[in-house]
Amino acid sequence: MTGTRAAFRLSLSALRAHKRRFAGTFLAVLLGVSFLAGTMVMGDTLRANFDTLFVDANTGTDAVVRSADVIDAGQGGGVREPVRASLAGRLGKVPGVAAAVPSVQGAGQLIGSDGKPVGGQGPPTLAGNWITDARLNPYHLVEGSAPTSEHEAVINRGAAKKGGLKVGDTAVVRTPDPLRVRIVGIATFGGADGMGQVTFTALTLPTAQKYLTTGPDRASAIQVRAASGVSQREVADRIAPLLPKGSEVLTGQRATQENQDEVSGRFLGVFTTLLLVFAGIALLVATFSIHNTFAIVVAQRTRENALLRALGASRRQVVGSTLAEAVAVGLVSSLAGLLGGVGVALGLKALFPALGFGMPTGGMVITTAAMAVPLAVGVTVSVGSALVPAVRAGRTAPLAALRETAVDRSGASWKRAAAGAVLGAAGIALAVVGASGSPQVPVTATGAVLVVIAFVVLGPVASTAAVRVLGAPLPRLRGVTGALAGRNALRGPKRTAATATALMVGVAVVTLFTVFGASLKATMDRTVDRSFAGDVAITTPAFGAGGSGLSPRLAPAVGELPQVRESVGLGKGVAKVDGGGRELTVTDPRRLANVIDLGSVRGSLDGLGTGGVAVSRGEAGKHGWHLGSTARLVFADGQRQPFTVRAVYERGDLSGDYLITRRAWAPHRVQDRDTLVAVAFKDGVSLGAGRAAVEKTAAGYGHPDVQDRAEYAKSAARGVDLMLSTVYALLALAVLIALLGIANTATLAVHERTRELGLLRAVGQTRSQLRAMVRWESVLVAAFGTVGGLGLGAFLGWALVRAADSAGTSAFAIPVPRLGVVLLVGVVAGALAGLRPAGRAAKLDVLKAIGVE
Amino acid sequence: MTAAARVVDAAKVYGSGETEVRALDGVSVDFPAAGFTAIMGPSGSGKSTLMHCAAGLDTLTSGSARIGDVELSGLTDKQLTVLRRERIGFVFQSFNLVPTLTVRENITLPRDLSGRPADPEWIDALVDVVGLRDRLHHRPSELSGGQQQRVAVARALAGRPDVVFADEPTGNLDSRSGAEVLGLLGRAVHEMGRTAVMVTHDPVAAAHADEVLFLADGRLVDRMPEPTAERVLDRMKAFDGRAPGARRTPQEVGP
Repeated sequence: MTGTRAAFRLSLSALRAHKRRFAGTFLAVLLGVSFLAGTMVMGDTLRANFDTLFVDANTGTDAVVRSADVIDAGQGGGVREPVRASLAGRLGKVPGVAAAVPSVQGAGQLIGSDGKPVGGQGPPTLAGNWITDARLNPYHLVEGSAPTSEHEAVINRGAAKKGGLKVGDTAVVRTPDPLRVRIVGIATFGGADGMGQVTFTALTLPTAQKYLTTGPDRASAIQVRAASGVSQREVADRIAPLLPKGSEVLTGQRATQENQDEVSGRFLGVFTTLLLVFAGIALLVATFSIHNTFAIVVAQRTRENALLRALGASRRQVVGSTLAEAVAVGLVSSLAGLLGGVGVALGLKALFPALGFGMPTGGMVITTAAMAVPLAVGVTVSVGSALVPAVRAGRTAPLAALRETAVDRSGASWKRAAAGAVLGAAGIALAVVGASGSPQVPVTATGAVLVVIAFVVLGPVASTAAVRVLGAPLPRLRGVTGALAGRNALRGPKRTAATATALMVGVAVVTLFTVFGASLKATMDRTVDRSFAGDVAITTPAFGAGGSGLSPRLAPAVGELPQVRESVGLGKGVAKVDGGGRELTVTDPRRLANVIDLGSVRGSLDGLGTGGVAVSRGEAGKHGWHLGSTARLVFADGQRQPFTVRAVYERGDLSGDYLITRRAWAPHRVQDRDTLVAVAFKDGVSLGAGRAAVEKTAAGYGHPDVQDRAEYAKSAARGVDLMLSTVYALLALAVLIALLGIANTATLAVHERTRELGLLRAVGQTRSQLRAMVRWESVLVAAFGTVGGLGLGAFLGWALVRAADSAGTSAFAIPVPRLGVVLLVGVVAGALAGLRPAGRAAKLDVLKAIGVE
Repeated sequence: MTAAARVVDAAKVYGSGETEVRALDGVSVDFPAAGFTAIMGPSGSGKSTLMHCAAGLDTLTSGSARIGDVELSGLTDKQLTVLRRERIGFVFQSFNLVPTLTVRENITLPRDLSGRPADPEWIDALVDVVGLRDRLHHRPSELSGGQQQRVAVARALAGRPDVVFADEPTGNLDSRSGAEVLGLLGRAVHEMGRTAVMVTHDPVAAAHADEVLFLADGRLVDRMPEPTAERVLDRMKAFDGRAPGARRTPQEVGP
């Protein structure tokens, strides 16, 4: 027991004596834990705030009646068949029901005062009816009045702010048919500016039905308020027997729960998972840095540990004292990290509204898990990283006390080289096999993990060669100072590799995403290039669940223009095929081939009628369909209808996998809208002239974008840049931690080379030469890490693109300029990391440095 | 005879008040060009401080130090560094060589740092004098202690400096290796016309010099031209009466 205490006392005094050496470790853990804790706290807070918001907004609704069937084709939530609005009248007479009102909701995008669409970059842009029963309406007027005529609307405060709209302004709502309205009121949702970022335009019930549904008696749902003293359960039970087949009733609580789950699952879930993944990467990078620090410190302390062993300390006591140091560092920095995490969450919460991301307000929610998990992770990372160095410290022979200061200069063993080579070869083979032929993501992923491990294992083997190559120009550039920097980087191959590995991991992830993004863009370019046979495309650029699409009347109107040879609109429908939701393309299949190249077509696109469908070759293969086969489609209204496969076409990348006629879709439609109008000009019509004419016509339909082929390809890939910017921002922390690691190693190296630095100064090295020497060494290490990361990331990117490409249509692209920037950033950052250690080295007093034992 | 280096009224004070230590207390001395001067004295006599200040490694509290006709006080760190590089050679007791550089690179290091390449014929000649031609591409860790000090002497002479300052150059060597190093310094002075200043507490080493200066308590107390080991030892014994001086016993020192 006393032995343990002695070991602990030793480690504490060691920590006190070498605070500076652990500064880097401390910061690495602190940053990683802050990121992790911040993410968890923010996720919990947002979730709780959204939950409160929905409870507040829906508090007056006791029951909701809607169609039971839902089809989810992957994007923007499920699609339900409307119910009869007249049902509300009947339900209103049920005893115990105080009010029952129809609720209509559809896509409707506002155009702001600047003429640009409001929102649409992710969250839904909705329009619906203004529910006149104030307690049933989740929105509450804070200004103006409710709409009373077809050309009046209430909008939520968030949309008003974003679009620069106020009461009395005139605006256009794309429903998608443009509807010109006067803003008569501004409303809040459960006390907030809106339901998160969702925009909402409220019209009168008849207007909403006219523009957002396909008939006058339709509603998305019926909202019911119970009389006082009647519970939600009771009112739901009383309504249930009166409902037509295919409808369901759920309590207000259940409906609120669904709203909450939807936001948590669809938005917050993705958001927090993404952040957690990057917090994990940051902590992984931190692990490398911390391990390296402990390895160096233990090596530097060999004499001290040997003396302890000679004086009678047991192996366990030496190991224990090193581990106790790790625990202390981990604990202190993790606790500081928790504080930092709460700070990060607070900062982000304040930052989001400033960036235009209105989030529901409310207090911070700090759960036990959000504190305990990051703390545990932080301590585990510290102790785990110190484990191997601690065991090595325990193995110190007492005799080592008598030797010269031992520094770990051990190079790479042949065992390491062999193991790394085998791992690497196996990994590359698996990745390549999984990526070629019929792609298999799990095989490639396994290979990718092996390759990463091989890179880490091979680091020390590769570092010597890599530093020699990278450092080759240094002597010519910087003379003997450069040569010394290069030699110094070669001194401890293990150390150089471990330092560089942290950066390598960060850079590899950056590169992976960069390559993946560029390949996505290249794929879009190629798709448009190959499959888009028209001259211009009319779209309403939107992202995720946003946007309202195009009026179905636009395509025929454009078709009337004298410059236009062909104008075809493509709408979206959904149906279940073999139990899974599928998107259908609703269009005129016969004319579609004039503007979109479907590749070779077997069968005929003519006369699909109401019972025929054209299917892409890939999809037909999956279901085993041939010409004449029967495809059973189930629509949102519950109708199942057999379709005959009348044509099978080669390429569905632009047109979608199922083509049906508008007449076939008409009975099942919910809100008429096209997502794309493809236009081809007549021979001899210039792009400029044709485009101007199309733009003029389109202006009358809510100003959608008219794009030439290049612009269309670019806008289709716009989400990629957004994704990349987010990823870069999230990876910045991991890269920062890696650079701290480089700085830390440089500081430790300066410490152990004190006498040598003193000698150099004595025989005539100037301070600036000394600084340059230290800086160049860290530049070399950073360059090694960056180049390794670029190579690793590019390979993993290639494997990922190929493995994820089951249709064989993806392009692979290496964005050289962008990766050049990554390289430059890595090297410059290396110089920055060396700045402080270089400054400290230059401040050394020559005489003291030479005299140091 | 002109002075290659000189100090006038040199004083060096550490601390202040109660804890004030006067490491040098008004020392004036000329180190004649093409001469080999040894500085001796008991521990704490100020001999190392004198050398460090004369060589521009440390600064005087008051008084003047010159290399040739350059006054050292008032020079910036950069100017001092360049001066050391261009006009002074150093040999320390240990850790004289940069472990990552080869023998040849270590010898030319000061020249390389200045960016002006060393005179290859001169380096060639030096290599032969120190007898390390077959070791030129070895690293310091592959050399014996004596060989390392010979490399250090070669490095100190590589730039044809005005003065070579040697701080206990034989302190870590056995007597044979020590004699080799001292022989090299002597040849540098007498055959190549260099100037050497050496701090030592070894009477045998001091006997290689043309003149021995004795310091005690920060003052120059005696000078001995054409010294022999016996006379130096006798002179040092006089100090031993007052304070423990040289660490070595006479038996160890004897020839």
